[in-house]
Amino acid sequence: MRSVAAPLLLLLLMASFRYGGSYATQHRDSIDAPPCWRFPLGTDDLGRDRLVRLFDATRISLLFAGAAAMGATLLAAFAGGVAGYAGGWFDQFVVRAIDLLLSLPSLFLLLATRAMMPLNASPVFSLVVTYALMSVLGWLTPARVIRASVRSSRQSEYVLQARAEGCPEGRILLRHILPNLRPILLAQFWTSIPVFILTEASLGFLGLSAGEPFPTWGSLLHELQNPLLARPEAFAPIVAIALFVSYFKTITPWKGSQA
Amino acid sequence: MNCLLYARVSADYPNRPAVLDNLELAMGRGEIVGLVGESGSGKSTLAMTLLRLLESKGGQARGELLFQGRNLLELSGREMRAVRGREIGLVLQSPLSALNPAMRIGRQILESWRAHREGSPDVGQLLEMVNLPGEVSFLERYPRQLSVGQAQRVLIAMAIVHRPALLLADEPTSALDVVTQAEILSLFSSLNRQMGMAVLYISHDLLSVASFCHRIAILQHGRIVESGATEEIFVHPRHAYTQALLRAIPKPPSFPTDCHPDLTACPPCVAFPTANQAVTNGGHRAIESLVCASRT
Repeated sequence: MRSVAAPLLLLLLMASFRYGGSYATQHRDSIDAPPCWRFPLGTDDLGRDRLVRLFDATRISLLFAGAAAMGATLLAAFAGGVAGYAGGWFDQFVVRAIDLLLSLPSLFLLLATRAMMPLNASPVFSLVVTYALMSVLGWLTPARVIRASVRSSRQSEYVLQARAEGCPEGRILLRHILPNLRPILLAQFWTSIPVFILTEASLGFLGLSAGEPFPTWGSLLHELQNPLLARPEAFAPIVAIALFVSYFKTITPWKGSQA
Repeated sequence: MNCLLYARVSADYPNRPAVLDNLELAMGRGEIVGLVGESGSGKSTLAMTLLRLLESKGGQARGELLFQGRNLLELSGREMRAVRGREIGLVLQSPLSALNPAMRIGRQILESWRAHREGSPDVGQLLEMVNLPGEVSFLERYPRQLSVGQAQRVLIAMAIVHRPALLLADEPTSALDVVTQAEILSLFSSLNRQMGMAVLYISHDLLSVASFCHRIAILQHGRIVESGATEEIFVHPRHAYTQALLRAIPKPPSFPTDCHPDLTACPPCVAFPTANQAVTNGGHRAIESLVCASRT
């Protein structure tokens, strides 16, 4: 499936760049128009081309979800790596902090923080805050996995060998242990992306993602507040989300990894 | 004897006190000493103690550890790090576990060098010393692409990259087949001759120890119970444990019990995997003769 899906999705992304128009352009002569040659997915109730908005939303959601996943993975690598390697009180402190943060209701935190933002916040700022929050809440579980791996590596023969060679501790962590965590870090990165996409979609459906007129997959779903009254073409973002999330779930970077 | 190392140490683990019990060991410069003992007698603990790496395994050492005139147990962490690798090298038992699986061979050798010095070592010459090809394609390999014997040679190359005065070889041949074992022992001998490097060869295999060590120390329950020249240990073992070790040396089923001095010119074989080794080492009698002498 992966070999078919990857070029297909890439083609879709490339086509989105070729397809003209701005996501904010209103076609006042075609309000809530059904699909036609000019607007293959019709227009929304403000006369905006749904296909243009879907293409832009795809790029924006993938970019932000990727950046947030990168942030969460780096945070997890740093906290889990240092805690696992240092051990002692610092390790205990990080473990307790992770336990505490994991016991907080993350959806409530996301909703509360987004709801507290001023109504005149720019669409880009609100989206950045949303994904930054996901990043900050998303590193906890990966950090536990990375900590456990580092603790195991710390007792390994190759680390003992590096110590016996006189390698400084910081260099052992960066040059010897970190490269061995590559498959785990990649796995955490690729599994975080669909989680963040779906979280943003849920927030967007509730109207708590990017502000108008900025399109994201989540904000496009807001149109489906009453799905029974929605046009069939308005469900296109759900198809796009399902396609990309399914694709990300097929990525298994640990297969054929060097380490 | 120009003393390189004098150790009088005790070592404990949290749940295992007195793993080393006031152990006393001395080594001269350029000397090859074989440390023999059964599993759990404290052989590897001694290697960790000499490098002061016992703490990383939760253990603790006390006593006196004089190496080139300095008490290693009194050095700061930074000073001790400067000793590791540069003055004392280590070769571990399982080369494929001791090499970093995510790092190419060339990079691993460079990392050993960079632990103490800037720039790059003469990798070609280094690999030549351990009988490995110095081609780029070899340096680009990962440990899993090497045979166990090649991996052990890489590990030895990394351990001698700074030409340490003392090399600790912690059962370096136990994971190898007999032919590769003989080759590695020959390599230790030649490195000892070329570089004047002292070797503490830790093993439970008395035969391989006898094949190239100048002196043997027998370790039991964390103490050296007997120590002396290789021939002396084989011909006149004093301690009951040493005698038991000698009696435990497996006897080839198809080989008569009398001595065969003429076999010393034979290449290594199943019956005498280290026979040729004893000849090339020079200055020692053939192993099978020593074994026979110990049994008469």
